[in-house]
Amino acid sequence: MNEFYLIYKNMTRKPLRLFLTCFAIFIAFLIFGAVTSLKTALNSSVELSADNRLVVFNRINFTKSLPIAYYQKVAAVEGVKDVTHLNWFGGYYQEPARQVVSMAVEPESYLRVYKEVVVPEDQKRAWFNNRQGVLVGEKLAQIYGWKIGDRIPISSNIFTHKDGGYTWEFVVSGIFKGDTEQYDTRQMLFHYKYFMETQTFGGDWIGWMALTTEDSSLNEKVAKTIDDTFANSQNETDTSTEKAFNKAFIEQIGNIGLIIFSVVFTAFFTILVVVGNTMALAIRERTGEIAVLKTLGFSSSRIFRMVLSESMLVALVGGLSGLAAAWLLVEGVKTFLARFLPNLILDGNIALQALVFMLLLGLITGLLPAFNALRLNIVTAFNRQQ
Amino acid sequence: MGSLIAQIVSVTLMNLGSLRRRLWMSLAMVLASAVVVAILLAFLAMAKGFEETMRGAGSSQIAILMREGSSTELNSVILQDQVNLIGESAGVARDANGPLVSPELYVIVDGIKKSSGTEANIPLRGLNKTGMDMRTNMQLVEGRMFTPGTNEMVVGAGVLREFNGFEIGKEVRFGKNLWKVVGVFSTGGNIFESELWADIKTIQSHYNRGNSYQSIRTKLQNDSDIKPLQDSIEREPRLNLEVQTEQEYFASQGKQLQYIATFGWIISAVMALGALAGALNTMYTSVADRAKEIATLRALGFSNFSAFCGTIAEAMVLAVTGGLLGSLAAFVFFDGLNTSTLGGSFTQVVFSFEMSPDLFLQGAILALAIGFVSGFFPAWRAARMPVIVAFRHAA
Repeated sequence: MNEFYLIYKNMTRKPLRLFLTCFAIFIAFLIFGAVTSLKTALNSSVELSADNRLVVFNRINFTKSLPIAYYQKVAAVEGVKDVTHLNWFGGYYQEPARQVVSMAVEPESYLRVYKEVVVPEDQKRAWFNNRQGVLVGEKLAQIYGWKIGDRIPISSNIFTHKDGGYTWEFVVSGIFKGDTEQYDTRQMLFHYKYFMETQTFGGDWIGWMALTTEDSSLNEKVAKTIDDTFANSQNETDTSTEKAFNKAFIEQIGNIGLIIFSVVFTAFFTILVVVGNTMALAIRERTGEIAVLKTLGFSSSRIFRMVLSESMLVALVGGLSGLAAAWLLVEGVKTFLARFLPNLILDGNIALQALVFMLLLGLITGLLPAFNALRLNIVTAFNRQQ
Repeated sequence: MGSLIAQIVSVTLMNLGSLRRRLWMSLAMVLASAVVVAILLAFLAMAKGFEETMRGAGSSQIAILMREGSSTELNSVILQDQVNLIGESAGVARDANGPLVSPELYVIVDGIKKSSGTEANIPLRGLNKTGMDMRTNMQLVEGRMFTPGTNEMVVGAGVLREFNGFEIGKEVRFGKNLWKVVGVFSTGGNIFESELWADIKTIQSHYNRGNSYQSIRTKLQNDSDIKPLQDSIEREPRLNLEVQTEQEYFASQGKQLQYIATFGWIISAVMALGALAGALNTMYTSVADRAKEIATLRALGFSNFSAFCGTIAEAMVLAVTGGLLGSLAAFVFFDGLNTSTLGGSFTQVVFSFEMSPDLFLQGAILALAIGFVSGFFPAWRAARMPVIVAFRHAA
């Protein structure tokens, strides 16, 4: 008899039970896939930051500004390759609720420091040469349907235009892409000079600086030199790698995320325990039949293999369909959530993890009954049946 | 009728008595129910705690004014002449010293979080005498109030709880300036406890704020009546401000973690489906195991209905036990758990998980539902199976 047919018959002998078991596994992996994708999306900015990029903030807090004179001083520090400065604009489009990540930057050095930003050469030139020009990320342009040459009004929830009102008019000079799919392109960049000339506060201050070092091994030394340079001045600095900064920022959201994810993962494992228990029991019920098979001359190793394959198969059928559903779900909400979580993606890594858990589930639930079957003594088994 | 009840009771007792024989099955069912309930409660307690922290902060007698479009205090900028104009406006309460108007300032500083050891944003709020008096629910828990014109500050109880280095007598450095902690205040657990308070003029001069502010709080002449204020703002082009009652402002900010409750309900609902499948499986198997026993009972003259009820009762007992365990676990692990997160104003909001009685009720309902559904179908099947078939199958 075909081995697979036998396994199939065993599996489907109680269709309702098979369905319920698979369904529970399906749900467990649906949640696993969706929640892990969510978690990875939340952490992705940490992993994407370049190794040799440092950020320099005011020591008081990153919302406090720095004098622009610091820019030249930092550029002169040994080990610094490129440095640029940025100002947070607090932009929104038409309504305060539609926030737009927008920063006033020094254009040429910005593109040197942020190599992830990919702009066609002619658009780059056009942006450099147009003081009112703005470089818009691909995803952001998609959300609002902006095209090159469009004039777009962007308002600030912090600054006031010196002509009155809070709205600045920009011209879309170029649209940039990220060098990888994960790079968040929901942002826009415009000229620092234009910003300074048109806002009412005046002054020569910058929000923060970003710089690349010659080599990531110099990071610590460069950071220390910069902070020492400005120690005991009116504006002390705090220099750290971008990675460390992003990580600290995400930690501000706090252990809430951690609590949620640990709760969900505990639940995931508990469902697996509950299901595994039923699966193992389902096989134990069949002790008598296994004795019959042995009597008929099935070798012990063959039975071992069959029992194990059965539980593996159940785990995989339920798990893979759950994972597929999670993928559909993530793909489905991706565009909808793009504004909040641009990097929501169920990638190979997550699928691989899920696969490992499925195999483990199949293995653990199948192994013990399979061993019992392997070592089963026919006579005792028949005796037990009575 | 009496005999039916007697039958149901004896079948139920028998089922419960034999639970030990199906130990693993029963435990699986308890576990499934416990997990679903615990998850739901964890999410709800978090959302509840945050909402309470926000809601408790807002008074309907106080209006808060910010630059239009700013949406939070952090972004807003207000100038001295605007403060003066508001002081002259209708609808603002006055006392012997003049209008009850408190211009306020907000500098974000770094503190080291105890939980992670990393820096996180804390608001350092500048207040004057009027502003202090307006916060009627403020109480000094320890120490004394700061002296205006000095580098002294008082810290909120929440900050003290979640951050290192803000104990009384400690000196804290923000930029070039050393601040001394002279007191700890409580505002009844609301969001103000996540703040540091100091003298407004001192902050203005230390952090180059000139004569600018970020928000204005004013006591209203009539409770929650912001209309006269709104009218004067509309008439006066120099007042580019938005006005709302403090209650409305914090209510909208409290909605922020509402998504956690929603997310919690969705996840628990989906998980409940999975757990329900597990529980149904368990009950089906357990009933199938006892098909012969149930058939015997029926052959002895017990009614179908009592067999049915006995099985449902067993499932409900298991599910409710699980529900209790789950609630207990959630209570032990989460109730009063202090945490903080980034709030709407870009600063840390310190709050505690709150496991209120109505949450337990929701958990109990969920457990009962799981028990009922997972017991119903297997019980139905067992009660309808012809006695003769049951005997033949079991043989």
